Amino acid sequence: MLRIGYGLLYLLFLLREFPHREEIWGPSSPWTPALARQLFDQTGWASILTLSDSRAYFEFCYVTALATSALFMLGWRTRAVSVLFAVVVASFHARAILMTDGGDNLILLMAIYLMFTACGTCWSLDARRCGKRSRSAGWCRRRLGAVGTSAIWGDLGGVRKTLITVLHNCAMCVIAVQVCFLYGAAGLYKVQGGLWGNGTALHYVLNLRFFHPWPMLSQMADAHPLLLSITGYLAVLLQVAFPFVLFGRLKYPVLTMLLSMHIGIALLLGLPLFSGAMIIADAVFLPDRFFRSLARLGPSVVKKPSHVASPR
Amino acid sequence: MLRAGLAAAICLSLTTALIHLLLVFLHVAPTNPVSQRYSQQVNAWVYPLFEQDWRLFAPNPESVNRQISVRTMHIGPDGTSHVSSWFDLTAADYSAVEHNPFPSHTSQNMLRRACNSYLELHGGGDQSRSERALMIQKYLRNIAAHRIAQHRHGDFESLQLRVITMPITAYSGQGDTRAAPASVSTRYLPWWKVTPHRY
Repeated sequence: MLRIGYGLLYLLFLLREFPHREEIWGPSSPWTPALARQLFDQTGWASILTLSDSRAYFEFCYVTALATSALFMLGWRTRAVSVLFAVVVASFHARAILMTDGGDNLILLMAIYLMFTACGTCWSLDARRCGKRSRSAGWCRRRLGAVGTSAIWGDLGGVRKTLITVLHNCAMCVIAVQVCFLYGAAGLYKVQGGLWGNGTALHYVLNLRFFHPWPMLSQMADAHPLLLSITGYLAVLLQVAFPFVLFGRLKYPVLTMLLSMHIGIALLLGLPLFSGAMIIADAVFLPDRFFRSLARLGPSVVKKPSHVASPR
Repeated sequence: MLRAGLAAAICLSLTTALIHLLLVFLHVAPTNPVSQRYSQQVNAWVYPLFEQDWRLFAPNPESVNRQISVRTMHIGPDGTSHVSSWFDLTAADYSAVEHNPFPSHTSQNMLRRACNSYLELHGGGDQSRSERALMIQKYLRNIAAHRIAQHRHGDFESLQLRVITMPITAYSGQGDTRAAPASVSTRYLPWWKVTPHRY
């Protein structure tokens, strides 16, 4: 689910920026390769994009990135492709680091964490291939079910399975806690701001012209100061409370409200990439049950979505 | 043997995960004695891959809109200098964002973040006091040169930026909230030379 989400999101992002790819990542970008390399020396970053200044090399990298995102989304040879995906995301992120925002930051972190998860075990081409093979052999189904079940000690295959499971669960735990940190930090930073304190922050946000895709809508929303302050307080409250409500029944209403908040951000502020990344991250906290019922709705070759571990 | 190796590997992944989370926590938390004491370790681990920036509109959203314009100078063959009229860079960005469900990073982040970094790193003056400041100055200059070369034809050897800062008016209760001519401030950045052959 995470894999499909982030693969798709990055693919869409790359396609969106296709006409601007030269300006953002290309050798003739205003942030020249020389400047990028100078910054890498200072910060310790690295990027495959600055290895050569040739135009052909850049186009090659771009096509590779597109293909990687697509394959990652589909789950083809997932473990290897996930490493490649992380390299691609990190490279593109680092090359244009001065143009990134919170959404890019989150996608980068997730791409790194997903390398360690067994994110190819369901809803993927790998799973389908395994499923086909298991009809004759049967080992693959065991492998698919291994995540989360008791380990078989003693033989190498068992050890491998256990390791994959442990690594997967660690990574999922890290992802979950990372999302909590994100919300906690974002909420607590806002608490320190006077404008969020007096309830007028959203008025300013709505009037920032860089985040003003639908002036009519923004103006309409801006005309209701009372509603805006309530929404502002609610947003901060939700973010601060997020890490604490995850363990109870309250998490569903909170997740629903966050979902609507992000849809609002995507629409009103023109930040669909950021919102998309956040919504996918939130989906980590939905139970397996939800994904299974989702799968039943669609006619697909779906195995038990075992990789969507519960955060506990 | 195999069992011991497995146990070690499990321990290793668990500790790595825990330490990672601890360091990331120290990184996002406000400065405190623990994070000060271990700042070196925290920074070494977190940067560059695990950098966290969750300050979108926090602690306060920006309360100003900026209008960034550029004009160019061309020295003619007879030695006289021609200064062009101002070209509004932000207007192009704003109109690219408007009515666009998925605005590009080039119109939403590029100029905005470059200009913010420039103003942050340079303070009130225009002297680049650090290597980073100088890099941002070059970046901003390149953006301006790039953009103007797309919109206007003709040679130029140097360009100047003008930043007009317009505060967003506080709530007045009704009507248009953006008209605030009183506290608008204008800042002229120095003339910067550009290498003409590149654009």
